[in-house]
Order: sequence, then structure tokens, then C-alpha cells
Amino acid sequence: MNSSQGESEDRALEALFYRAERVALVEREQFSGARPTVWLVGVVALLAFVTGLSNMSEQTLALAGPLAPVVPDAAVFVRFAGVLFAFMLGLVTLGLQRRKRLAWQVAMLALPALALLPLVTLQPTDVPLLLALVVTFPLLVVNREAFDRRVELSPLQVASLAAIVGVGLYGTVGAYGLRDQFLGLEDWADAVYYVVVTIATVGYGDITPTTPEAQWFSLSVIVFGTGAFTVAIGALVAPAIEARMAAAFGSMTASELTLLDDHVVVLGYGDITESVLDRLTGETTFLVVTPDSDVAAALKRDGVNVLTGDPTDEAVLEDARVDVASGVVVASDDDARDVLAVLAVKSLAPDVRVVAAANEEKHVAKFESVGADEVINPLTIGGQLLGASVLGAPDPFTDPGERT
Amino acid sequence: MSGSVTDDSGGVLAGLLLPLCVVSGAVVVAGFFFPDVVGGAVDGPVWLVVALTFFGSGLGYLAVLPYPETVSDRETVPTLLRIRHHSLRATLREFIAHHDPVVLGVPVAVFTLFCCLQALFPQGTNATVDGLSQAVLRGGGPVFLGAMFLAVCYCLFLLVGPWGEVRLGGPDADPTYTYPTYFALVFTAGIAAGIVFWGPTEALVHYGTPPPTVDAAPESSAAAGGALTYALFHWGLSAWSAYAVIAVPIAYFVFRHGAPLRVSTILAPFVGVDGLDSPWSRLVDTLAVFATIGGIATSVALVSQQFLAGITFEWGVSTGRTGSVVFVGGLTLVVVLSAVTGVHRGIRRIAGLTVVLFGLFALILVAVGPRSFVFTSGVGALSEYAVRFVPLSLTVGDPWIAAWTVWNWSWWFSWAPFAGLFVAALSRGRRIRTVVFTTVVATSAATMCWFLLLGGTSLWLQRVGGTDLLAAVAGRSDAEAVVGFLVFDALPLGGLLAFLFLALIVVFIVTSADVSTLVTALLATRRGLAPTTGAIVFWGVFQGAVAVSVLLLGGVETLQALAVLTGGPFAVLSLFALGGLTLTFARYEGGHTSLARRAVSRLPAIELHHDVDPPEEK
Repeated sequence: MNSSQGESEDRALEALFYRAERVALVEREQFSGARPTVWLVGVVALLAFVTGLSNMSEQTLALAGPLAPVVPDAAVFVRFAGVLFAFMLGLVTLGLQRRKRLAWQVAMLALPALALLPLVTLQPTDVPLLLALVVTFPLLVVNREAFDRRVELSPLQVASLAAIVGVGLYGTVGAYGLRDQFLGLEDWADAVYYVVVTIATVGYGDITPTTPEAQWFSLSVIVFGTGAFTVAIGALVAPAIEARMAAAFGSMTASELTLLDDHVVVLGYGDITESVLDRLTGETTFLVVTPDSDVAAALKRDGVNVLTGDPTDEAVLEDARVDVASGVVVASDDDARDVLAVLAVKSLAPDVRVVAAANEEKHVAKFESVGADEVINPLTIGGQLLGASVLGAPDPFTDPGERT
Repeated sequence: MSGSVTDDSGGVLAGLLLPLCVVSGAVVVAGFFFPDVVGGAVDGPVWLVVALTFFGSGLGYLAVLPYPETVSDRETVPTLLRIRHHSLRATLREFIAHHDPVVLGVPVAVFTLFCCLQALFPQGTNATVDGLSQAVLRGGGPVFLGAMFLAVCYCLFLLVGPWGEVRLGGPDADPTYTYPTYFALVFTAGIAAGIVFWGPTEALVHYGTPPPTVDAAPESSAAAGGALTYALFHWGLSAWSAYAVIAVPIAYFVFRHGAPLRVSTILAPFVGVDGLDSPWSRLVDTLAVFATIGGIATSVALVSQQFLAGITFEWGVSTGRTGSVVFVGGLTLVVVLSAVTGVHRGIRRIAGLTVVLFGLFALILVAVGPRSFVFTSGVGALSEYAVRFVPLSLTVGDPWIAAWTVWNWSWWFSWAPFAGLFVAALSRGRRIRTVVFTTVVATSAATMCWFLLLGGTSLWLQRVGGTDLLAAVAGRSDAEAVVGFLVFDALPLGGLLAFLFLALIVVFIVTSADVSTLVTALLATRRGLAPTTGAIVFWGVFQGAVAVSVLLLGGVETLQALAVLTGGPFAVLSLFALGGLTLTFARYEGGHTSLARRAVSRLPAIELHHDVDPPEEK
């Protein structure tokens, strides 16, 4: 009786108090990685926004914090800093989510600066923001290595940014130097205000040039400034929008994708893909996966199912439902990427039939070794056909049954 | 009992609680950040409801969140815990079959009887219980004081002596609960909202009317020192030792001798591990269930009254008796969710939140409070506590002592069964020294810091800060419900402190009540079975029902007195437990080294290593 009773008592004890191997007060890894850090910066941005709005809604602001005497223009600072920081931190959060180094650096500067706000006012409403900052900053430091991607800008983007900065400096320094020839331009702040208002083509008219020299200067700022401004908008924003448009027009929706079944997936779009698609049309449903959004858009116009994405990316292949496909054709112009695509397909769906086209004879063995079920070199076939044709011999690829 | 709160329905509950929490939270946040805009649109009672809904649903959501790595591959665990979907009669039959009829029946019958008596003859019942309680506290004073003093001494001995070395669950056992978890669970289970209410109040009350043993004029500087010392004394080492002297024997016999996890296991040295089915054991377990339910239910009822009285006092939002009942209902809901999801989910998470809020509150108070006054008076009170500990512990005979010290000791002893059992259950893999250190030293250190900080702050306001707190609460019987708010009103960030104060009250009572629910369900279930979800729900709801009925019928104080009286038997039982434990230790646990000897033996050993080559292993 004793041993069985003892055993069941042990089980009762386990069931109540020892359900898990180890119970920590906080699941540390769940709360301290890079993802929670990004999330917390987002929370800080939100809290900064709400706290800032709360400050702006007050008629008079009490400055009870320890830093109130130290910070210059404290009343102005606490009124506007929260919301402005929130906008910047929103962008920073986006950058951090993409693990950008630059975003991390900006966050490391912005968070301590934002901490000035609650330390100047120190009202009950500021305490949540202060606490969030106190928690977020160390996490950001601890996870510094997770944010290591560089911001990659095209030469056009770099040039346009440089132009904006250049025109801004030119306009500000120049306007300040010519301040005697402007009506209402007194100091650096006025100069900056004048340049921004001019470049943005708002031109309130409260600061006006009074001499020909100043007028010519203003004209140059307008021409170069608006030019640089427009180019910068085009260079920085347009690629993002184009990518979105291409993705929107050149892609199947998630719900359409889930309907695919027993289909053929064509990975990559190369010289021979056109012929492959001609052969497949009418026989079976198929889906082309290509990273090139222009090709995708063109195919979509022709009524072909397209998914815009990298064919070597497992996540994209999963969206293409490779696992339930009847076969996969890998035939772009780049053998190296095609090998990667075969590997990706096989890691996701080892049983699916993969047919690959090798652009060079020496790559055939490589395709086979990574698991392609059939490898065809179009050039070899073409050459043999040509040879057979000139000799008048029967077509080597015709079905033997047809020959008899 | 429709269905069980297993992981699937946990998901459904989470789906209900999260939107509730988010919506009410949005309103609360809007009101917090834009008081001028939103404050005008919503009135007091609505605020109260929305804020409590936010907080309660948040706690519930925290409890039902799944746990990442549960050991569920063992088939036995889910089948033991799950109730199948049966007809009502089958469910009832299973419920009865799982329960020990005596331990289930007697407390239920006694509480029902008490409610009937309270409803029919309130005067007579009150008078009888009051007389009984007075007699026990007066007459039994020496027993309580002696038992408590002995408990402290024994804990000290376990801490430094050789037996502290004993590892529960065998030399190779690893603790499942990491130390922070262990501390948080022990600390929050062992103390309810009393710590929050009495923190700013106890020292102030003793300052206004000094205890006869302090021998100082009311509201004098000497009275301030004595008041803080008494606050430390009533909530310090002694109080927590009562838990340790129940926890250590249970843990030792459970994890070293295979005894069942129940309160009656403290009798093991006398009846043997196999003899724990005897009527005596049943009696002890029944008494433990009665003490626990009585103690927690009255705490819940009192806390709800004090909570709402404080809100009425501070913001003029009057809720009446319905408010109290709804409040208790909400608390019960959160408590049941937390207890049902288990130690590793609800109970642990809410305990963690409690410790975080507790630390946050203390930090903010240090930042905005009178630091130097608190520090100076705190150091004075601590040294006086150390010097006068023995005389304070052993002074008997004064009616004031009976009304305060003995009452307190009895109250702590009546909580000892469930707190001690819970501590014992968590202690597998830990040394007895660690158990005692955590239960007595670490927890009382946290409590004493709290009392010095809050008590010191209210004394500072009274003496230096120019707020006459005593005059403001003169004539109120529930000073503890309002003093906190008066203190915070006088400090920077006072509004925030008041909100945190209210939140702390809720989480501290929840963390005690969920553990007590789990423990009573365990005690009332037949030996060798884990309590079913239904049983846990039943005991949680029963606890809430007792609280509601004493709120409605009156007699919270009477039931409290009755529950406190059960501290008497447990004070006596603790003496037996310690005696039996000592005999068992002497018989089985030779060969351990004490902390002092280990410290001494370390010194030459280090010297030797420099001169002589270390001996070859193998």
C-alpha cells in the first residue's frame, strides 16, 4: 500500500507544484532579446506622444522636476518635445525593426534626450514615460550587436540628400550673411525659418529681400532648393512606393495562394521560361516566382499567376505552396541561384519533383547532387537537334513509339 | 462547473479578457493623461468600475496566458487534473469521491452554522465570540508569546546550526523554482493587504497612544522611536518565524521521509509517516482548512471594506454595501483564475507583479519622501528593536499586549498552516537553511524596510511636515484605511502613489487568496490525489461566499476573532512540531556541519593549499 500510495502522492505533488522543469520569475530570454527592445522603443514612442499631447493640452505646465532650472527654455521644451520625439522615435522603431545600425545610434541619443522631459516636469503623468525609458535604455545597450545592418542608399539617394543639406547650409548661411538686406530677418533662427519656408514653396512673405542682391540670392535658393527637395522626394520615397505597387500588382493575394494545389511552380524567369510557360499553359495551373517586379507586373498583365519574391527564400516558397505542388521547374539564367533554389525547395518539400535547367554543361552534376530529379541542359539538346537535323537523321527526342 | 479551465478554454478566456483589459485600459489611460478633457465626461463610480475592471481583467489575463514548457508529456498529469464533461450528477459524484468527507464537510458545516447564527442571533453570537476571544488572548498570552519566541530562536538555530545543511529531497535534488521566484511566492503568499494598510498607520497609532511598555508621553520624540520599534516588532522576524516553524517540519518529512503534503504531517514524529491517516491528523487538517478559509475570507471582506472606505474618504465616491460585494466577487474571480492556472502560471505571475509594484512604490517613495528623517529614525528603531527584542517578546500581562501583540501573534499563527504548507511545497531541492533564510530573514527584511519607510514618512508628516494626520483620523475606527491617502496627498507625485497603493492592496490580497484556495483544495482532497480544477474552483468560490455573507450579515470582526482563535491550536502544535523535528533530526541527521564551524574550518584550509600540492583525485 505504501509504495503505491507514496507514488500517487508524488504524482499529486508534481501535478500541483512541479508542472515545469524550471520556473523562473521572469522568462528572461522572452523579455530581453532584440524583438522586445524594438517593441519597447515603440512603447516609448507611444508614451512620448501621449505624454506630449497631455502636456500640450495643459494651459500652464508645472515644472517640478530636478532639471527644470538647468534646461534652457524649459516651458517651450516640455510643451513640444514629447510629440516631436515621438515622431522621430516612430521612424527609429521602423529602422530598429530592420535592425539598422543608424536607427540604434539615433535611439541611443534620443532616449536620454527624451528623459529630460519627465525630469523637467515630474508630474504623475510623466512617470510611465520615465519608467519605460529606464527599462528600454539598458536593453538597447545590451542588444547593441543585434542592430548591425547598414543603411544602404543608392548613389542618387546619397546625392539628393547631400544636395538638400548643401542647399540648406547655403541658404541659411547666405541669408544670415545678407540679413541687413532682408526685411524681418534678424538672427540664425530667422535664417533657418526663411530657408525652410522658401524651399517648401510656402513663402509666407513675412521675410522679404529688399535689395537686388538678396533677391537674386533668394531666387537661387528657390531654384536649387525646390529642385533638390523634389529630387530627394523622388529618390527616397519613389522606390519604396514602386516596390509596394509592384508587390501589389505583381503578386497573388494570400487567399489566392492558399487555393493552389497540385500546381507547377516555376522558380525564376530566364530566357527559356517563356517556352516552359507556353508548354504548361492549358495543361496545369502554375505559378511563377520571380524577384523582378517588372517581370512580375508584365506576367500578371498576361494573366499568369505570379508571386514576387526571392525563389531561394524558404518563406517565399512556402507561400508558393511548394509542399503541395506537383512539380517545380528551376530555370533562370543564373545557375548559382538556381542551385540555391533547388536546395531551398528540397529542404521544404523533399518529395516534390524538381526539374532544373543548367545553363552550362559542367553544372549538371551539381544540380543533381543537390537533389534535382531531372537536369536538362538546353544548349546540349539544341546542339544535338541541330546536328541530327543536318544529317537527316531522325529526331533523337521523338518518342520511340512514334518512329515505328 | 461547466467544463474545465484547461489550456483550450484558457485561450477562450484570454480572448475575452484581453479586449476587456484593452478597452478599460484605454479609458484609464485617457483619464490619466487628459484629466481635464475626460474627467468631466465620466463620474466617480464609473471611474472606479472602469479602473478595477482594467486591473482585474489584466490580472486574469496574466494568469491564463499559457506557460511555454509545461511537463505535459507525462500522461498522468492531465488526467489527474482534468474534469471530463459529465452530467451534473456524475460531476458531483466525482467531486465527492475526490474529497475527504471530514475535511470537506466540517468546515463547510461550521461556516454555514456561523452564518445562520449570525443571521438569527447576531448579538448573542458576537458577545459569545468576543468573550471567548478576550479570554483566550488574555489567558493564553504567555503561550502565544512563548511559542513565538521559541520559533524565532529555533529559526536562528536552523540558520547557523548544523541541521540547516539538510537538503530537502535528497542531496542531488535541484530546486525547480529559481530563487527570485521562490522569494516572490513566499513573500506575497505569506502577507496580505495588511502590510499595505498598516504600513503608514501602525507607527502613527502607537505614536498617538504609546504602548505602556514604551513609557513615553503621547506624541513625543521618544514615542516616535518606540512606535517604529513596535511596528517592526509586530511585522518583523517573529511574525515570519511562525510560518517557518510549520513549513520546515512539513517540508522535511515530505521530502526526506515520503510523508504526504498536508499540515497534519507535522505530527509524523509522533504517529509515524504511516500513521498519518489517524483521526488526529484529520482533525489537524480540518482545523487548518477552517483557519485558512476563516482567515482569508475575513481578510478579503475587511480589505474590500477598507479599500472602498479609503476611496470614499479620498475622492468622495461612496459605493455602499453593494460595492463591497461586487468588489469581493471580482476578487474571487481573479483568485480562482490564478489558483486554477497553477503555481507556475497565475500565482507566479501575479506574485512577480506584486513584488515589482512593491519595489516600484518603495523606490518612488524614497525618491520623493523625507529620506534623511526616515533613515535616522529607521536606524534608531532598528537598533532599539535589536536591543529590546527579548524583553519585547516576553512581556506579558498588560491588556494592551493582549490586544495588539498577542492578537497579532495569533493572527500570524492562524495563517501559518496554509503559508507554511505552501512554503514547504515549493522548497524541494533547497537546504533548510535557505528555506529559513527566505521565510524569515529575507521576507521580514522586506517587510521591515516597508514599515520603516512608510511609518517613518507618516511620522515625519505628523512631527515635521505640518500635517496633523492623527487629528484627521481621530474618531475613526478604520484609521488604517485612510492614513495612506493623507500621507500621499502631502507628497509630490501623490496621485500616482495613491493609485499604486490601491493596486498593491488588490495584488497582495489576491496573492494570498489564490494560494489559500490551492492549499485548502489540496487539504480537502483525498490523500494521493491532486485536487481537480472543480475542487479549486469550489474552494475559491466558497472563500468568496463566506466573505460576502459576513459582509451582508455583518460580523466580519466576529469571524475574524473566530479565525484568529484558531491560531491558538497552531501555536501549541508548532511547539509539538519543533519537539518532534528536533528528535528526528537528532536521530537521522548527524554529520552535518554548522555554518559557524564551516567558516572557521575554511581559514586554515586555504593556507594549506599554498604549501602543499592538492591531493591527487582518484
